[in-house]
Order: sequence, then structure tokens, then C-alpha cells
Amino acid sequence: MDYKITVGIEVHCELKTKEKIFSPSLSCYGSMANTNINVIDLGYPGTLPLLNKEVLEYAIRACKVLNLNITHDMHFDRKNYFYADNPKNFQITQNETPIGRDGYVEIDVDGVKKKIEILEMHIEEDTSKSVHGEKSSLLDFNRAGVPLIEIVTKPCINSSVEAVKYLEKLRELLLYANVSDCKIEEGSMRCEPNVSISKTEKFGTKVEVKNIGSISNVGEAIEYEVARQKEILEKGEVLKEQTRRFDDKTKTTILMRVKETGNDYRYFPEPDIPFVHLTDEFIEKSLHDLPRMPDDRRNDYEKAGILPINIEKIIANKALSDYLERFLDINLVIASNLLLGDISAYLNKNNISISDTKLTDDKFRDLVNKLDKKEISNKIFKDILNDIMETDKNINTILDDKGLNLINDDSLIDTLIDKVLSDNSDIVNQYKSGNERSAKALMGLLMKEGKGKINPSSANQKLMEKLNS
Amino acid sequence: MSNYINLSIKEIHVLLKEKKITPIDLVNECIKKIESSDLNAFITLDKEGALKQAEELSKMEVSDDLLFGIPIAIKDNIMVNGLRCTCASRMLDNFTAIYDAGCIDLIKKHGMIIIGKTNMDEFAMGSTSETSYYGAPKNPWNKDKVTGGSSGGSAASVSAGLVPMALGSDTGGSIRQPSSFTGIVGMKPTYGRVSRYGLVAFASSLDQIGPMTRNVYENALLLNAISKLDRRDMTSFDTNEDFTRKIDKPLENFKVAIPNYFVSDIVDSEVKNKILEIKKLLEDNNVKVDFIDIKHIDKTVTLYQIIAMGEASSNLARFDGVRYGFSYPNPTSLDDLYSKTRKFGFGNEVKRRIMVGSYLLSGENAKTYYNKALEIRDDLQKNFLKVFDNYNLIIGPTTARCAYDLGDKGDDPLKSFMDDVLVMHANMGGFPSLSMPVGFNSEHLPIGLQIIGNLRDEATIYGLASFIEKNIKEDFSEVRNGL
Repeated sequence: MDYKITVGIEVHCELKTKEKIFSPSLSCYGSMANTNINVIDLGYPGTLPLLNKEVLEYAIRACKVLNLNITHDMHFDRKNYFYADNPKNFQITQNETPIGRDGYVEIDVDGVKKKIEILEMHIEEDTSKSVHGEKSSLLDFNRAGVPLIEIVTKPCINSSVEAVKYLEKLRELLLYANVSDCKIEEGSMRCEPNVSISKTEKFGTKVEVKNIGSISNVGEAIEYEVARQKEILEKGEVLKEQTRRFDDKTKTTILMRVKETGNDYRYFPEPDIPFVHLTDEFIEKSLHDLPRMPDDRRNDYEKAGILPINIEKIIANKALSDYLERFLDINLVIASNLLLGDISAYLNKNNISISDTKLTDDKFRDLVNKLDKKEISNKIFKDILNDIMETDKNINTILDDKGLNLINDDSLIDTLIDKVLSDNSDIVNQYKSGNERSAKALMGLLMKEGKGKINPSSANQKLMEKLNS
Repeated sequence: MSNYINLSIKEIHVLLKEKKITPIDLVNECIKKIESSDLNAFITLDKEGALKQAEELSKMEVSDDLLFGIPIAIKDNIMVNGLRCTCASRMLDNFTAIYDAGCIDLIKKHGMIIIGKTNMDEFAMGSTSETSYYGAPKNPWNKDKVTGGSSGGSAASVSAGLVPMALGSDTGGSIRQPSSFTGIVGMKPTYGRVSRYGLVAFASSLDQIGPMTRNVYENALLLNAISKLDRRDMTSFDTNEDFTRKIDKPLENFKVAIPNYFVSDIVDSEVKNKILEIKKLLEDNNVKVDFIDIKHIDKTVTLYQIIAMGEASSNLARFDGVRYGFSYPNPTSLDDLYSKTRKFGFGNEVKRRIMVGSYLLSGENAKTYYNKALEIRDDLQKNFLKVFDNYNLIIGPTTARCAYDLGDKGDDPLKSFMDDVLVMHANMGGFPSLSMPVGFNSEHLPIGLQIIGNLRDEATIYGLASFIEKNIKEDFSEVRNGL
């Protein structure tokens, strides 16, 4: 019998509120060190925490998308431990009353759906950031007091694939709920799996892995741990409960510390923050502007006929998907092709985003509809792309100015077809004698005659009618 | 030496208004009195700052605010921007505040002048002010006696007339007990009445800032000034009321309770007899006074030890030598920095309380002790609230005995807690409680009466206190005039 793998994962996510959780300092990444700080963040004597209500709103949104039951009566607790990055030498967290309990995230592994159960989610404050030098360590308190949620699964994950799928899905949900940026590389999402293996129903010895820099590395860390633990057990040796860190270069885990018998954090209820009662009104208000979740969007895209590969490309780019949310009533295939194709290329080339261009919602809608009705061809669209993006003119004006309005006048098209047919009677004859490819040649000549300005679909239809009559 | 400071606030106000004196005269007088005093009441005297502010105020129109231009002393655990804030500890000997506490904002808005920072027990932990890194302050009534504590410096400075008013803080009697020992009026307001923002935390769920003054009226006046909603303290509240409004008003249908515990054998007989005299005075004036029993009233020292020390062990964890304050030089590791900084930065009493508090919150102890204590504390509050269903106020002695000799307490930590056995209930339940002088013992040391009110009902306390103040013969100003 092979070993059964059991993994539980703790994820910390920074909430992207404007201000910190207990002080009015700005909560943002990338500022110069120690500029977004005040006496509260530094743990100065006499300072008190002031709970930022926005944090509760964000956490409630996270509870909703992770299917967690919201704890209406909750409080904060102090977790006491000494470390240089911990300004008060206690962290304000939730020990007894996490804001969310008993939720799940549904994943799909090769077509099989599985619910990854979430034990709890609680709110806490981030510590400052240590930068270790050779002889000294520096502290950046910009991060001290940034709001975090910690999401803890039950030990119900049984493979590295499941772990990766869970984390991808979790990241997607929190991102789409506008709760967190979930950027692992910036530390706004931190994943810490604990891995054990066992041949019996009883769980094996747990090893926690920290310092993992990407979701795929979580998978690799689990794979490595499983192999390492197997080897030790096969040798008949005993595993010790420990914390290890993932080394990106060697793709291995390295021992940090062996766990001593239970950490003593001396938890007690935070006396400076009155107990919180979340009213139904407050919860409703917090969920009021919750955006549509990715699976709902996937469904719409699929119904509209967007290719699966493109659906995932859109979902992977939240800004793009959010943009598309405004155009659910137009042809989504054309819209998504434009956005993923020429428009993306234009934006990338110029290193800008849509909001930096002159492409208004009306213009985009008009453009997609014109392409949908074949009022302009793809070629013309490419010709006028720069004008669309860079001028205030609407599409009709651009087409007029460039003399590019597609000819939809039936009598004009008839005249042109007649001219082409009479000028190329040899090709017509080839067609009539059974060479179907000749029709394509005639169509090409027709478009050339129309200087690319005639509506190709109606012209083709008319051409075929005449040829077959 | 001029003696304007010994006049009442109202009298001083008239002189200021009539331009007979300026705030500069008041500040100069305070500074002279403080500098010639041997009470060790101050840790920091801000001569320059106080004079500068007095000069600025002297150029201004005197407002109708009775507190305009009045000098005040601040306990040295309350932040005053730009002034040292030591908490009477070596740990913060070199620490300068970089912001104003919530109540200091208000003090400054009223145009009061901060003279300096007063001596106290280290981090407010003690009942005699003897745990101060700067040595104990002395009791103006007898310089061999303790001032009480922890707000001993504030009590001594008001009692001796060095300043007309002071602020203290009270976690388990630290305003009222020294007020009782030095014959002044001290109020611990309802929890949340005065913002704790900028008060160095000892036990967060018990701490409260309050006024220490020479008489009842001026106490209510100062409480008016410092109580306001402060969004920076989530436990802060405001009722927008005038605390002087019941002063000198008749006591109609008034009922007062005396817990039997407050006149039991734990109380010195001279003190007890004085309280019984007050009982008689009240009864002679148609106030109904009953002896009552309150469940758990004898449990407070135990509750206090668990809750206050548990919270203190966490609150004082931030003093680690990393960001501010004393930092042990050239440590060999982070742990070495922590242990040496705290070993040499804190005094024995503080270390003792941190260790006991850490033990009480450790592992299963949190459930056995801390959570249990919180439950009993809730019950105790409910039991007091029930009393207030039937009585306007509860009275009793502030302390079981009068001020004792410096050094008398020795190194017995329990003895000092027993001093506060009658005052801790108000902190446990969040109730307002005032101490006022009502007489002397045979050593001519002041005896304090404690009046406990219902939550947010400071005004009624001041009402009864003003009545008693008016009807007792003793004069408590002799140590002020005796300079």
C-alpha cells in the first residue's frame, strides 16, 4: 500500500484597503521605507488601535466568495511573542472568534470536482518587514499594520495538483472580489502548506513549509516533501515535526526549526477594541458592490461562443474581464478577439492601458457592432486602429475622413460585379465548368475593384447569386 | 513670594480678567514653589515651555473659560509633546514624547499651562510612589510619610499648593489613594470618560485618567475640560454634560449605601469612626444611609492581580530596546538585547508584575485564571449595578488606613495591594469614584472618604461631595499656607 498524502494550507492575504487596520497610515506597497508610518504602527507607548471598518467590509466579501459562515459577534485577541519585526511584541489577531468559519472552494481536477474545505478565516495585522544584512537587520514599518486575512484549510488536500488548483482558485476568487492583489512576489499572498504522509488512517507527522515564492512552487515543495518523508520512513527512521523553508534554486526544502512543544502565545481578548457586532445591514452593505465571480463570467463567455483557450486568457487578466463586463450585450467573440488581439498588441506596444487611450465605451461598442454587421472589414479596422485609439473622432467620422466607408449600396455593388464578370469571362467560364476555386478569384478581383471598401459578405452573396443564375 | 496659586480658580480668574495679574505671574510663582520644595513631586519641570506659553497667553484676551491661564501638573505617564515622558522608569529616562495625549490636546485648548511632569510609581505600579526610578515623593503633611501612589507626585504637588491642579491616572486606586493620603480631591471617572490615547498603558481595561484638585468644584471643572469623545480611543464616550451642575443643590430623596465590607475589621478604627461621623452628618440632613452586602466585594485584590498583571505583561512587552527608550548597548543577539534591556531598564516591582502576568496568561492558566477572573468581574459589576437600582451612591473609606512611613511597606508586594482593597471595585466595574478629605487621624494625617457612583453619573458624586465638603469643619489647606 502506498502512502496517503495529507496537506493543509495556511494562506495570508493582504487586504487592499486604503488605510492600515489600526491606524490612518496609508497601506500601500512599494513606497520608500518607513514613510507610511505613524506612532501607532511603531507601537509607541500610549497609542491605541483604531479599527478600520473598511477591513471588516473586505473580510466580509472574502467570507462570501469562500462560502464561509460569518461570525456576527466577534472580537480581537492579542497574540504575545517577542520579535524585532513585531512593534508591540504582540500581534492583534482573532483567536477565539474568527470572522469566517466552515467554508469551501470548489476545484476541478481533470473533470472531477472537489470541495477544498476551509476551517476558518480570521483578520490580523501584518508585522514590519525585516531586511537582514551581514552585520545588522533593518526594519521597514510600512508593512506594520497592513490588514491581513489568514485562510486555513482542513487537512483535506491529497496531492500537489489539488494544492495548486486550490491556490489558483483561491487567488482568483480573492482577486475578483477586489479583496486583495494576491501578488505572491510582493508578499501580498503567502502560502504555507503543511505536509504529512501516512499508510494508516492516522495522520503522519506534520511538516510546515514557508517562504514559497509562487503557486507552482507550492506544488514542487509538496512533491519534494512527500519524497523526502517517504525516504526517511522507508529507512525506518522517525519524522520530527518541524518548519522548513523552500529553496527556489535547488527546489528543495531546508530545515528552519524543529517545533518545540506548543508555542505559548498567551492569547487574551484585546481590551482596547470593543467587541464587534456585525449587523445584517453592515454585511449587506459590504456585499453590495461585490463584482461577478469568475465562474459566472466563464459561463457567459462559453455561451457566447468564445474559445476555451481565450476564456482562460480573459479570466487570467482581471482588468480585461472587468472591461468586458460593460459589454455583455454585444458580440463577445468579436469583442474578446479585438481585446486579446489588435487592441492588446497596440496597448502593449505603447505600454499603456485602455483608460489611457481615446477608446471610449461608445466607440468600442460601435466598433464591435460594425464588425459584427460586416459594415467594416477586418482590414479597414486595422487601418483605422490608430485613429480609434488616438483621436476623439467617432468611427463614422474616421471612416468618412479616410474615405473608407464600406459600400453597402446594392446598385453600386451590382455595377461592380457586372464589370468584374464581363472583364473576366475566362474565369467565369472556368467556374461554370466546375472549378469552384474560381469563385474565390473573382471575389478577390471584386474587392480589388471596390478598393476594399465594399461590404464583403453582401458582395460575396450577390456575386454567387449572379454566378449561379 | 506671591500667593495667587492658593486662591480659588474663580478668584484667580477674576484677577486675570481684571488684568491685576497675568499667567506669567502664576507660572513664576509655581516654578518658585516647586524649586524651593523638597517633596520630590516632579520628574520634569518645563520652566521654559511654561513661561513661553504664559507669555503668549498674556498677550491674549482672557476668555471666560475659568481654566484659562491656570497652571497644571501632569502625571509622567501622559504624553505631552516635546516633554520627557519617563513613567518614572529607567526604561524611558531618555524618552521624549512626540505627540500629545487626547486630554493634553484639551488642556491646551483651554489655555491651561503645563508646568511639568509629576513623580509616580514606575509605570504606575505601586501604592506609595516608592517604586519610582527617581525616588519617592514626600507627603506634605509629614515628610516621613508616603504620598501614596501611583499618582503620588500629582497628589503632593496639589496638596502642597505647588500647582492648583493636576492630572493622575487610576488603574486600581492610583488617583484616589494618594488623594486620600494627602488630603485632596481626586476623581477616577467612568471608564471611557477621558480618552486614554497618550496614556502609557498599564492595564488597558482598568486605566483611566482623572482630575486631582484642592476642592470638589474645581475637580468637576477640570473633568469638564478633559472629557470629550476621542475617536483615537475606541472605548471613549461623551455625554456632553456639565459636571458642576449638581454642586450646592439640595439632596432630595437621597439614598446612600455603605457596604459592610467597607467598615469591617480590615479598616483602621479611626478611619472607620470618621466614616460613621459622615454617615451621621448625612442622616441628620435627611439622607437615608443603609449598610448593605455586595457579593464578591472581597475578591477584588485577586481579580486585580490576575487582570491587571495579565494585561500589563502584554502592554509592557513593547519596551524592548529596539525602537525607543533604554537599549542595552552592544547586545550579543536579539534575545540578549531583550533580556538585558528589560533586566536593567525595569525596576523590581515592574518585573515582578510582568512575570506574574505572563504566568497567569500562559497555556491553560489563561482559562483557569484570566477568563475566570473576567467572569467574576462581570458578576461584580452586575452586583454593583443592582445596588444603584436602589441607592444614588455608595460611600466608604478610600483607604483602610492613613499615610504610613516611607519604607514601611518594605518589599512585601501583597501589603501594597491591600492598600487598594477598597478602591479597586470602581476600576473593575468601570464606575466613577471620588476621594475627598473628611478629617484627620490622631497623627494629623488626612482621612479620605470614597464616593462611588453609577456608570456615567459623576455629577451626582460631585453633588454629594460638595454637600459634605461644606458641612465639615476641618481645613485641609494648612500645608499650602504653611510654605
